[in-house]
Amino acid sequence: MAPLIELTAVSKSYGGVPALTDVSLTVEPGAVHAILGENGAGKSTLMKLLAGVIAPETGTIAIDGQVQRFATPRDAARCGIVCMFQELSLMPHLSVGDNMLIGDGGAALALIRRGSRRAARAVLDRVGGQHIAMATRIADLPLADRQLVEIAKAIGRKPRLLILDEATSALTAERVETVFAVIRALRDAGCAVLFISHRMYEIDAVADRISIFRNGRHIETFAAGTRSHDAMISLMIGQSLKELFPPRRDPPPVSTPPILSVRDLRWAPHLNGVDLDVRPGEIVGLGGLDGQGQQHLMHAIFGILRRTSGTVTLEGKTLTDLTPGRAKTRRIGLALVPEDRKTEGLILDMTIADNLRLAGLSRKPFGLANATDATDAAIAKLIERLGLTYGRLSDPVKTLSGGNQQKVVLAKWLALGPRCLLLMDPTRGIDVKTKAQIYRLLQDLAGEGLAIVLQSTDYEELIHLCHRINVFYKGRVVRELSGAEATPDALIAASLNVSAEAA
Amino acid sequence: MSSLAPGASRPRLSGLRIDPSVALVVAGCVVIVLGAGMVSPGVLSLGYLLQQLQIAAIVGILATGAMLVILLGQIDLSVPLTITGTAIVSTSLAGSGNPLLETLAIPAGLLGGTLIGTINGLGVAIFRIPAMVWTLAVNAMLLGMTVFYTGGFKPHGAPPPLAVLMAHGRFAGIPNAFLLWLLVGAATTFMLKRTVFGTYIYAMGQSQRALFLAGAPIGRTTVAVFALAGFLSSLGGLLLTGYANQAYQGMGDAYLMPVIAAVVIGGTSILGGSGTYLGTFVGALFMTLLSSILSLLQMPDAARQIIFGGIILGMLLVHRSRRAA
Repeated sequence: MAPLIELTAVSKSYGGVPALTDVSLTVEPGAVHAILGENGAGKSTLMKLLAGVIAPETGTIAIDGQVQRFATPRDAARCGIVCMFQELSLMPHLSVGDNMLIGDGGAALALIRRGSRRAARAVLDRVGGQHIAMATRIADLPLADRQLVEIAKAIGRKPRLLILDEATSALTAERVETVFAVIRALRDAGCAVLFISHRMYEIDAVADRISIFRNGRHIETFAAGTRSHDAMISLMIGQSLKELFPPRRDPPPVSTPPILSVRDLRWAPHLNGVDLDVRPGEIVGLGGLDGQGQQHLMHAIFGILRRTSGTVTLEGKTLTDLTPGRAKTRRIGLALVPEDRKTEGLILDMTIADNLRLAGLSRKPFGLANATDATDAAIAKLIERLGLTYGRLSDPVKTLSGGNQQKVVLAKWLALGPRCLLLMDPTRGIDVKTKAQIYRLLQDLAGEGLAIVLQSTDYEELIHLCHRINVFYKGRVVRELSGAEATPDALIAASLNVSAEAA
Repeated sequence: MSSLAPGASRPRLSGLRIDPSVALVVAGCVVIVLGAGMVSPGVLSLGYLLQQLQIAAIVGILATGAMLVILLGQIDLSVPLTITGTAIVSTSLAGSGNPLLETLAIPAGLLGGTLIGTINGLGVAIFRIPAMVWTLAVNAMLLGMTVFYTGGFKPHGAPPPLAVLMAHGRFAGIPNAFLLWLLVGAATTFMLKRTVFGTYIYAMGQSQRALFLAGAPIGRTTVAVFALAGFLSSLGGLLLTGYANQAYQGMGDAYLMPVIAAVVIGGTSILGGSGTYLGTFVGALFMTLLSSILSLLQMPDAARQIIFGGIILGMLLVHRSRRAA
């Protein structure tokens, strides 16, 4: 059969960071095509290209053999491409019915016919939403029902290509089966379905073909059932870069009392009872799929979240009413390298020097910004130690490369002499050379007795750097991996919350 | 990008760079004065120019407070009634005939302004209400209070003698008001360039989130800046009271626009995070000269407002294109 969609040598980058590189892919009608890859493999970028949200920098997208350039999502919709994004796109204060009828391609000023309402009702019933009233406000529905409405809305457009990006993440297995029945019916009617999911059993249940993506590249496409789960996971992860990681230091003896202890930390609905211990000299990893509570735990420890329950203790003393300002004091000695370097870690228009000094300003005598103190000397030493490459310290920090920017963030916090360092995805979007430098630094710091909590979306990083890895799923630690059991397969299996044997 | 002046040993946020917008405004001042001088040569006399400095001091001190708030990325729309309220409180006390109350006239006026500023800051920092809405509501409430207090008539009382002395007096030929402005300006420049508080103000205007994650006291900084702005508004209000020799309803109304214009024309980003005090200084001079000369040319008030508004929009466009370049 002729392909419905054909991508040829498509590339796309964001601010110089490649998201997709030279991707060629065909999607055939009458088949469910699953896309697999780790976080950051380029799946979402691929979907956005097809949906017309973004345009490729190079390469072409052809539909029915004709090259198309989508200027807006409306152009893509006109070609029969309907996308259901991971982030729900329903308008919370409108009713279910209004949401399903909005933007269905009719003229803006046309009256809504009763027939379209009836059709919307029928589609919602088909996907298993019989219990949802059309007049209900979206905001009043639970997440699972919202997903059903979203799916019904997509199917109601009579797509030729239906893109489902983690569309069933909030649904129970029973509901998923109803949705899958509809998807299979659509496929049998000749519709092409692109299906993105992290759940292996969903892939098994519904996919006809599978494509693996890694680091923005299309690695391989094969028929479903021709590869084992292990083989697919290996393809997703790729070979490990052994030379990237310095040899791991021995963990501190188990008898060492933890410096930081978290007990039953809750912040509904993101944290549902998390325990964590970190010893001096230990690197503890936080892994799992994106958004399973790892980031919230870091924010909770650093005093960013309000109204958490549970306890955080540092050297046996319970920390209460913590704010970032209190967390960084000498008495407590926490430091957080935040997730987004550009909006959270740095003030881009400020100079390198000012960014380096920002966290330490609170310790200046008499509130005089220019008074020199111990922090300045520490910063000077750290610039050397980290090998920060810069023109002048008076240049805006945004002129630095991503790797050097991250070194500034690290130096800013290390200058305060913290006792426990919280790192959120510290090597995201950083070149390999700087990555290696940062890994070596972290090992050295741990060797000097610093306690490090490393949250990362990079499995290799967790496996090769950490003494122990806590794997998160739905706001809880579902597994702790250490030593020989910390393998990519085990980590992925734990992230998907299936046991390692089943995966 | 920005270039630092040679010899600057310690890089600073606002730096010592020669701000093109400052140069532009200075050129604007010169053009206005010379142009008006051709029409009426009296403009070029020392006496006239010193008098302009005296008037500019009121706008300048008010603009100092407005600038601090704008640097945070916020705005204070309660300036008009902070001025009027301060004037009414201090003239009432100064004209009360009770010696104790008379001495309290100026401190009470300043305290009142600081209090209004603190309320503004608390609304923005704790309740997270956008400053544009909160300060506008505070302004409306103050208007109601002053009308309630005065019954809508011209308030009774007398200006505090010290305010009159500051507004009208001269020291070595230089208007006291201008000297006071220089003092306020020097203190503000020191605060912005040399203190941690000043660094926080700029950083907060750039990225409140990043500053919060760096462990800086966001809430306290916000409240302190608004309180300081309230203090400076009432200081400007006292100077105006002394200059006008009275308090009257609506005396602050004409100042909101020129004050914000002075800050923006001086190159301070209306979005916060960048701007120099020197810019605000020349901006206040420019607005005062423009206003005086337009009235010297017997331009009706309506036309003056149109020109003010037009100049603000024009300068915003100039700054925008400069940033985009």
